[in-house]
Amino acid sequence: MSTLKTVEPFGDGFISALCPELILFAGLILLIVVPNLGDGKFRIPGTQTRIPWLLGGQRFKLTSDPRLPSWIAVITIGTSFVMTILSFQDGVERTAIVSEGGTQILMINAFSRVFELIFFGALTLAAFASMNRLDVKGIGARLSTDELYNNRRQGDFYILMITCALGMSIVALAQDLFVLFIGLELASFSTYVLVAFFKESKAGTEAGMKYFIVGSVASGVGLYGLSMLYLWAGSLQLDVLATTFAQSGSDALPMIGIGFVLVGFGFKVSAAPFHFAAPDAYSGASSPVAGVLATASKAMGIVGLLRILLIVAAPESSEDGTVWLVCLGLLSVITMTWGNLAALGSTNPKRMLAYSSVAHAGYMLAAITAIGAWNWDETLSGDPGEAAVVVLTALMFHLMVLVAFKLGAFLVLSVLESEGGGSRLSSLGGLAKREPFLAVAMFIFMISLAGVPPLAGFMSKLLVIMGIVKVALGDMSEALATGSELGLSDVHWVWWLALAMVINSAISVYYYLRIGVVMFFEEPEEGKTGPLPAGWQVRFAILACLLATVFMGVASDKILEICEIAAQSFNYNWA
Amino acid sequence: MNDWISIPLVAFPLISSMILLAFVSNASPRVREGLVKPIRMACLVFSLLLLVLTTGMFFKYFGEVSWMDIQFNDYEYFVSYAWIDSLGINWTVGLDALSFPMVWLTTFLLPVTIIATWNEKYGATYFPLLLMMGGALIGVFVSLDLFMFYVFWELTLIPMFFLILKWGGADRKYAAQKFFIYTFTASVVMLLGLITLYFLQEPNTLASAGSMTGRSFSIPELIDTARTANVGDNWFLGKTMQNILFVMLMIGFLVKLPAVPFHTWLPDAHVQAPTGGSMLLAGVMLKMGAYGMFRLPLSLFPHALYHFQLALMIIGMVSLVWGAIVCLGQTNLKKMVAYSSVSHMGVILIGIATMQPMGWAAALFMMFAHGIISPMLFAVCGAFKHHYHSMEIGAMRGMAKHSPWLATSMMFAWMASLGLPLLAGFVAEIMMLIALWHMISLDGWSIWWMVGPALVLALTAAYYLWSMQRTIFEGGDDTQPPANMVGKVIPDISNPEKFAMLILAFFTILFGVMPWIALDMMDDWTKQIFNGLILFVGKGGA
Repeated sequence: MSTLKTVEPFGDGFISALCPELILFAGLILLIVVPNLGDGKFRIPGTQTRIPWLLGGQRFKLTSDPRLPSWIAVITIGTSFVMTILSFQDGVERTAIVSEGGTQILMINAFSRVFELIFFGALTLAAFASMNRLDVKGIGARLSTDELYNNRRQGDFYILMITCALGMSIVALAQDLFVLFIGLELASFSTYVLVAFFKESKAGTEAGMKYFIVGSVASGVGLYGLSMLYLWAGSLQLDVLATTFAQSGSDALPMIGIGFVLVGFGFKVSAAPFHFAAPDAYSGASSPVAGVLATASKAMGIVGLLRILLIVAAPESSEDGTVWLVCLGLLSVITMTWGNLAALGSTNPKRMLAYSSVAHAGYMLAAITAIGAWNWDETLSGDPGEAAVVVLTALMFHLMVLVAFKLGAFLVLSVLESEGGGSRLSSLGGLAKREPFLAVAMFIFMISLAGVPPLAGFMSKLLVIMGIVKVALGDMSEALATGSELGLSDVHWVWWLALAMVINSAISVYYYLRIGVVMFFEEPEEGKTGPLPAGWQVRFAILACLLATVFMGVASDKILEICEIAAQSFNYNWA
Repeated sequence: MNDWISIPLVAFPLISSMILLAFVSNASPRVREGLVKPIRMACLVFSLLLLVLTTGMFFKYFGEVSWMDIQFNDYEYFVSYAWIDSLGINWTVGLDALSFPMVWLTTFLLPVTIIATWNEKYGATYFPLLLMMGGALIGVFVSLDLFMFYVFWELTLIPMFFLILKWGGADRKYAAQKFFIYTFTASVVMLLGLITLYFLQEPNTLASAGSMTGRSFSIPELIDTARTANVGDNWFLGKTMQNILFVMLMIGFLVKLPAVPFHTWLPDAHVQAPTGGSMLLAGVMLKMGAYGMFRLPLSLFPHALYHFQLALMIIGMVSLVWGAIVCLGQTNLKKMVAYSSVSHMGVILIGIATMQPMGWAAALFMMFAHGIISPMLFAVCGAFKHHYHSMEIGAMRGMAKHSPWLATSMMFAWMASLGLPLLAGFVAEIMMLIALWHMISLDGWSIWWMVGPALVLALTAAYYLWSMQRTIFEGGDDTQPPANMVGKVIPDISNPEKFAMLILAFFTILFGVMPWIALDMMDDWTKQIFNGLILFVGKGGA
């Protein structure tokens, strides 16, 4: 493991370490400034001299183009994405941004880089695909006030996209729960507004309100939990919390505090029973935004959960985390089953995808439970770090490939939305005849979600199950090799989580296949024939998702390596 | 040695079919119309190439191979490349006496299926899907890596799902989804078993172990480990674990086979599937279950096999008898044939459960023989449907008069399936009976176990003869044509159909008269694997 490099704010190496975030910040400033550039002049008081200062006035042709903000946003987030990829080229250096007192605030390592990849990737695709989702009436023509207003809103939408990306990457970097919370709120508030962005429609308003109310209550509860933790430990530094927990973790205060914090993050990953707002939010939001909620926002919640887990359940921690692991295990089974059963009955594809995303949250919670299963069961033996790395690798791979097919599915729905469909199963009817490419892509996304090989969804599910099984079996293989007789009762109970996962994926096949059946074998809705509207951008994004889905399933070796390095760097004791 | 040719054997049909599919689905409807015939021809040529390849392999054209005294767990045309290194996943393919007959069967059935449905108005995507199906099936049989095996195992579902969904009967949506969900559910349980097995291997002992997990998905290495571990009173992974894993794997295989009570997807899928789909489904896809049993649980878990011998025997007997009884009550020709498949798969299970080398060879030969006969059955059903627009047994009578070709084919196929001597099915059945008798006399089982097979011999003859009597012979006077054909010309089967029937009939006779062509290597292989296991019986292992 490379040694830790500490950097003070704006000190040596600050720019290279925080390169993606700084690019985002620059892009944000540009996005605010550039669309306002015009031939505005500044009159020096008391004189008649007017100095052109470019702000305001009649805007230039280029800067008044309503499509400009989207391009700025896509290029900004895309550049951050590329920079993040490039940082992997010669190994990610562990860099901590420290305050003057020497406490770590942010930590840049392979773990945070992988999550940045997930966030930026999802947001780039969503921003790119949103380009022709908003009503843009071009320039120069005689525009009504409403149309002008719509053009004007372009900027807002993409500013929110960038702040969302910024907030998410802060969550991934944070080493202090307070910083983490700030990042979480920055991203959350951006998503609240993004969900409610189509405020003219009833569904959009309702979705925004619900999502905001439930989300802010969850954040409030989480914040309250944080304050309790602070009261107890005197600090919100992750490492301070971990050491304090090892000493006095069984006190009532941290127990309640952690419980509250878990509620806050549970909402973000849409785990049952905090998932009720998710289906409404997803179906009310525009599809690319819903895709972001289901992928990037969920990954952000997982980071939060993992950070908390590091306190209560890291292998070197105390046995006091037990109660939370049982809770997490139960929660995971309830979440996946609830999600799948609810998805079976929903006829709105967006709600169905929302419930499927709840089910996926359950799978991820199961994996998290498995990481923690080490330190509190005597029957488990073996190297806890090794097993934790396997599970964490699986988890990160899962989040990564989720961007490909979950977001891809939402993007296909977004194309349908542009003709008013997308929220009824029947609007998918006959898609194979109208647009074979979209239908094939959607079918591949669906069977990838169901976990059919050789697609990425299968690999990720396989890895998660493998991780859980590995933890559950521990060192049994060595005991068996020496001839001891072991049965199912010797297997750790997290093995049953794997079984629950497997059975749940079998249930989920039904509703994923149903989409395929409707697309290929049902007639289009009344009066809807021929190709769909919407431009090339969203199709290009879908193609990218499709290629990624297939590629990450068939050739996952390199990505697995990256995830493994990232998993090791999550806790350097494991490397 | 030209070991590499086992790679195009899998890759060529898969890749070529995907290219054809991509090509067709991007063409405009008008162009697509014109593409049907060239694509049909291309698929036929591709599948014939595959047949030439496998036949050449058998006749040792591509290099000296020893099909006849091949060692257990030794593979011809063995190739292994690293695929996902960190998990110990390799692209490992190879052929042995277990897989080679199935591979040859697949490549043989592909062109026959294409020819038999040559004139169906199925459009341009049908034949590439058949080709893709063939590629996935070959993949299942040649892969020697658990991961690859599972990937191909599931990959077969996709083309079959579309074949049923797109060209199936009235209830096709229900049937296709039921088929997919049933087999998918069973195979994910199997997957969990495979992963558990994977992590129960001793870490870092195998050559192909993954860097991250220290284990390997390689089947040959797994079997080797198991064989060295199953020594003395030691059992590979211990008795309890063997039993648990055996059950988990068998769930996947028994549903695929299918055995009663997991068989209900089969009649639905078969009745709704188009003829080509049924032919491949019955001919090869069902055998994936039996193949899997031989490849994994039988080779790895001898203790569990003895432990569950009685259970397997009971499931086999029930499948055999129940399948036959249900056949008697069917009025739908295709459903009857589908249930007869359930009955015949029972023979395979009984053969395995006898724990005799001959029983196992019978099971292997049954896989092969049923793989030739059942496509003929379904080809006949398909022709029946195609020409008379109905599948009801009473819909067409007196076929012998107006459709002599179809009547003859039907009679031949029916006779082959009911086990007429000198035809392929008979060999397998008689071997199974002898093995069962051996088991009863050697191991002291009750003589009543013979009742089931004996009863089924009569029942099978009954339902086949009865259905023939009602379709071929009865009501043959020209004054009474069937209700739905009044006033129409009643056609006989077309030339491609005749050709397909002739080929299938020829091989049915060939393997009935000279079963040793295939049986020798199967016999050899089962003796080998069995000799490995018999050691434990002597020790009272079970």
